[in-house]
Amino acid sequence: MTDYDPAKVAEIHRHLHSHLPSEPALRVKALESLLVEKGLVDPQTIDAWVEAYSEEIGPKRGAAVVAKAWTDDAFKARLLSDGTAAIDELGFVGNATAHLKAVENTDGIHNLVVCTLCSCYPFSLLGVAPNWYKTAAYRSRAVRDPRGVLAEFGVEIADDVEVRVWDSTAELRYLVVPQRPAGTDDLDEAGLAALVTRNAMIGTDRVLSATAPEAS
Amino acid sequence: MDGPHDLGGKEGFGPIVTDEPDVPFHHEWEGRMWGISRSSGAPGVTIDWWRHVRELIDPVDYLSRPYFDSWAQTELATYIHAGVITLDEVKSGRSASRKERTAKTISAADAIAFDGASRADFARTIEAAPRFAPGDKVLTKPFTQTHHTRLPAYARGKPGTVHAHHGAHVFADENAKGNDVAQHIYSVVFEAKDLWPEAGSRRDRIFLDLWESYLEPS
Repeated sequence: MTDYDPAKVAEIHRHLHSHLPSEPALRVKALESLLVEKGLVDPQTIDAWVEAYSEEIGPKRGAAVVAKAWTDDAFKARLLSDGTAAIDELGFVGNATAHLKAVENTDGIHNLVVCTLCSCYPFSLLGVAPNWYKTAAYRSRAVRDPRGVLAEFGVEIADDVEVRVWDSTAELRYLVVPQRPAGTDDLDEAGLAALVTRNAMIGTDRVLSATAPEAS
Repeated sequence: MDGPHDLGGKEGFGPIVTDEPDVPFHHEWEGRMWGISRSSGAPGVTIDWWRHVRELIDPVDYLSRPYFDSWAQTELATYIHAGVITLDEVKSGRSASRKERTAKTISAADAIAFDGASRADFARTIEAAPRFAPGDKVLTKPFTQTHHTRLPAYARGKPGTVHAHHGAHVFADENAKGNDVAQHIYSVVFEAKDLWPEAGSRRDRIFLDLWESYLEPS
């Protein structure tokens, strides 16, 4: 690759600080304009990626995986032993999920996922990360005060429940498999998937409702 | 690098804003930035070099500007560093060179297919046997590098236990320099009381994925 020169990059950042407009939209526009002019990016291709990550690639994929794990013990066993191979069965491996680890909530264990060093997230399975996941507030406290963080999400964890925090410091990515809510025996996989919230798959939600929210 | 990005355990950032619109992009420019990053990139940029370039943003900017805004600055910096874009072009907003190629136009269906094919695999086969096994007690190194590293400050010099061995993966610290060398990597678990003075008897355990050279036997 290009020569490795962090000091030079720090200098570039200082120049960019001085010369870029302050407004984020204008900064991104400046980048896009130059790349388009140079023939390095096509605006329609950017549209296509926005559409892909707005429609198809998102938390509904993760929810389908969880619902399948709830209804198919053999799949669940495969998911917990080799997450990537299991989600590959559903065609969901892709961006940042070549090393997926699924971790299961139980009566005695609650799992919570964070990336304290940047914002690592299993994109091809859960889509674009929510804003809160990328904030300093979440990244700083999830590893130190997970119960306090969970309380801010309205999740109370009993003292005798172990909280396991997974800090995504390498290329492994984590999917929390929440517990199946009681009273859902009559639901099929699609019905169950509708109960699975994105936050539950990150770990900032725990007790799922047995009825899906009304479509708005 | 002991930069502003190494946030684990830092205090004072206040409550988390938990209610936000349930849509992937809250502003159009966020979507544009996502699309740019998924469809292009400066030549020769590894994921760890990209992360390091982001870590090198001025600390005040890093902590105060919106998330995807930092992606825009990181992309620009990598392109400038690679010599593809110049600072003068950023200042003028115009490309100074003739268009040399035509970017590919793809559909959303193509994007979904590309995404499925972009499964970057960091696993490598190495000759060295793993130094640790699940159950082994370890002590993390007290220091790592002044450049890119993935051993967070809060977990340096701390006692932990190997929870799992995940084979060998490309070593982030070297990957940032463009060197595809691998080390064994482990899921290491730490008790909250070993990391935080106020943890007391809280039943919290923190799991980190750590390369072998971050660890010493304990």
